[in-house]
Amino acid sequence: MAAAINMIIQASHLTKQFKSVRRKEGVLGTLATLFSHDYEFKDAVTDVSFDLEPGELVGYIGPNGAGKSTTIKMLTGILVPTSGHCTVNGIVPWQDRQANGRGIGVVFGQRTQLYWDLPLVESFRLLKAIYGVSQASYDRHLKKFSELLGLDEFMRTPVRQLSLGQRMRGDFAAAMMHEPAVVFLDEPTIGLDVVAKEAIRNFIASVNKERGTTFILTTHDLNDVEKLCARIILIDHGRKLYDGSIDAIKKRYGPNRLLTADFLTDAAGVDIRMPGVAVLERDGQRIRLEFERERVRADELIVALSRQADLKDVTIAEPELETIIRQIYERGLDRSGPAPQ
Amino acid sequence: MADAGARHWSAYREFWRLNFLTLMEYKVNFFIWLAFTIVYHGVALGAIWIMMSRFPSMNGWHWQQVFFLYALYMLGHTLNNTFFFTIGEVPDLVREGRFDRLLVRPLDPLFQVLSQPGQIWPDELVIALIVFILAQGAVHLQWSSSTVVLLVLATLGGAYIDFAIQLIIATLSFWVVRLDALRWVVMSLENDFTRYPLSIYNRAVRIMLAYVFPFAFMNYFPATVLLHKSAEVGYTFNPQLGWLTPVVGAVWFAAAYSFWRLGLNKYQGTGS
Amino acid sequence: MNLAPYAEFAKRAFSREATYRAEVFTRVGSVLLRVFLLSTLWTALYRNNGAKQGISLESMITYATLALLLDLIYGVNGAYVIRQKIREGSIAIDFMRPISVPLYVFADTVGQTGFALVQIVPALVLSFPLLGLMHAHVGGPSGGIAALGFVASVALGFLLNFLIDLIMATATFWTMEIFGIQIMVQFISSLLSGSLVPLYFFPNGLQKIAFALPFAGLYNAPLSIYIGKWQGRDIALGLGEQALWLALIWFAAMAFWRRGERRVVVQGG
Repeated sequence: MAAAINMIIQASHLTKQFKSVRRKEGVLGTLATLFSHDYEFKDAVTDVSFDLEPGELVGYIGPNGAGKSTTIKMLTGILVPTSGHCTVNGIVPWQDRQANGRGIGVVFGQRTQLYWDLPLVESFRLLKAIYGVSQASYDRHLKKFSELLGLDEFMRTPVRQLSLGQRMRGDFAAAMMHEPAVVFLDEPTIGLDVVAKEAIRNFIASVNKERGTTFILTTHDLNDVEKLCARIILIDHGRKLYDGSIDAIKKRYGPNRLLTADFLTDAAGVDIRMPGVAVLERDGQRIRLEFERERVRADELIVALSRQADLKDVTIAEPELETIIRQIYERGLDRSGPAPQ
Repeated sequence: MADAGARHWSAYREFWRLNFLTLMEYKVNFFIWLAFTIVYHGVALGAIWIMMSRFPSMNGWHWQQVFFLYALYMLGHTLNNTFFFTIGEVPDLVREGRFDRLLVRPLDPLFQVLSQPGQIWPDELVIALIVFILAQGAVHLQWSSSTVVLLVLATLGGAYIDFAIQLIIATLSFWVVRLDALRWVVMSLENDFTRYPLSIYNRAVRIMLAYVFPFAFMNYFPATVLLHKSAEVGYTFNPQLGWLTPVVGAVWFAAAYSFWRLGLNKYQGTGS
Repeated sequence: MNLAPYAEFAKRAFSREATYRAEVFTRVGSVLLRVFLLSTLWTALYRNNGAKQGISLESMITYATLALLLDLIYGVNGAYVIRQKIREGSIAIDFMRPISVPLYVFADTVGQTGFALVQIVPALVLSFPLLGLMHAHVGGPSGGIAALGFVASVALGFLLNFLIDLIMATATFWTMEIFGIQIMVQFISSLLSGSLVPLYFFPNGLQKIAFALPFAGLYNAPLSIYIGKWQGRDIALGLGEQALWLALIWFAAMAFWRRGERRVVVQGG
């Protein structure tokens, strides 16, 4: 395992099972539940393994109830796995929670760690004391974060009066105050507007680049992942489905690109018969095509089109990650695309 | 570990500073809570007064002595409330998932629970001192160095007894979602039964209050020493028992803390 | 008016309460424990002093036991949710629905109280025989009329308690800092309603004040009827007094609510 020493996070065969009482319907059922010993076991996470190198920015994605949060809770030391093992910064999180706490930062999108009744800066001061951050680093971080996140305008405002976007920006700064080597982000952009999302994405990218901080990001918003992460880990029903680069998953499961061509005249007569190209839609002077990236070159396709009528404009789009992922959830991994050559 | 100690200490100082700032933020609330505290103890004292007016004989304790009993209880109880009040928030923290946050920080989780900025202020402790000053005058308490030592021990030990019981209840919330009923019964045990001398109760209640939920060590046993009540009608016990309050407090706190550790493991095992 | 949705709200509140199953057992258990403890307390007080104000020890224990069970009914504060709704601003959404908020809250309270009864019945069935082991003549009402009067008086007390809670919650339209005041009123009520100590034990002046206040309708009225402290004409008068208070507080609560509602509609929260 010599190579593994460089890994900042190692998770091997992580498994978590929950036990709960089976509930019954209706008033009588409710009363019966009171005396029930009928338990059900739910496998939240099953046999999940992965390694992360320092400085990676990984999207950990899956539908609701896939086991994302449970995995994060095990990696942060909140939960003890039923079986399996993991280390973060070389520490087993649930065994030495205080040591673990010093090396990680956590942002729960729906739960703030800021003090509701007090100005934002007071929460930072408390965190400075909690993590034993020196005055010099504190001042430096605060200056840096204020620039990146624009905290200055609401630094002295009580947190309860902040907008959601402002509060989240505050939460990000709070999670990074002690320069953690690993940061866990659990739905960090949920409910935010476009501007706030953009500010937070830029912040993550910049901290990742400048400090080499490792990020694990769980989110519903695949735009976050597409903009930030090179690598994704996909889980569903508690099991890992895919672990690799976004480019690779696109190539493998989204082999088609989209081409939209606008002509100067009506496009009804345009007819393309090339292998690997399919017409999706005709609408007046516009035509929309789908073509396989491996078989058809875009320039050849455009030349072929321009021979048939006068072209006004052409746009080519990559398939959206969201579309691909949805297909994987719906059809399963194997049937979502062609096997790799 | 010295570093961890320093971080805990500076976090604690910061907590009291934030506490003060929160208080300034809600000045009106401070007066409402002050009034609340006065009304709470006023109602309790009022009920004692009403009872004493109809039931003047309490196994040889006259009303001034019963008043003193309550004042002594108040000292330990309010000391606990001043420093450990937020232990009562654990069930809410667990239910709402906010407890998770305490586990990803490099500080002891119990320490963090006890240093949640809130609106705690030693107002109740001050009221307790005032009530105590009145009560010791009413019973003509004989002051000596041993009186002072006993009072300090009873107050500190009493606070730890009170805290240990609260800690056990809080820990149960790792298993049970709602604890109102249990809290209710322990509170009533504490409130109703610390008001009168232990000697008036039957054997079962005496055993419960002395050994199971040792509230009798918060006021009754120290009071018998201070008021020279060693010979009680129908109840014999070692008259020096009143000196043991800090020992009982330490033992109960140690037990409660072990239970808390157990609950913490359980929480990490199941999650919410 | 269509009452079907409100019946559904009540049912939902019932089921919601029932999800906390461990609490049912701890609650029944804690009632039994408290019943036992209170009976020892009163026994001790009576042994040292003898009967007072014409209330025998048995009547006193019966009184204290039923007061505990009434605590479970009056402890339901369905109106409290209004405070949260106003705080979060979701009350404005409720005003857009074709539903009366006070009536919705009332339905919720009924559902929760229904579940409180699920706890009260076994507690009652177990506690009187338990007490019977130690004291003869504890438990039963003083007669058939007393039993009926008790039920009627508890029903009036339940409505009275709901309206007092509603008034408290409505005050949130003006100030968020109502929580402390609300608990203070609860403490004062616990003393002046006769829930801790029967009003008959109060010194004269305080007793007159307590009898003149609406809080006496919560505990003193039903329990006086049950233990036979009131008989015949007194029962009728007591119930009449409760009804009168209920009517007065009803008008006050409704007027207060309308003003709060208007405040939101006009000022947008």
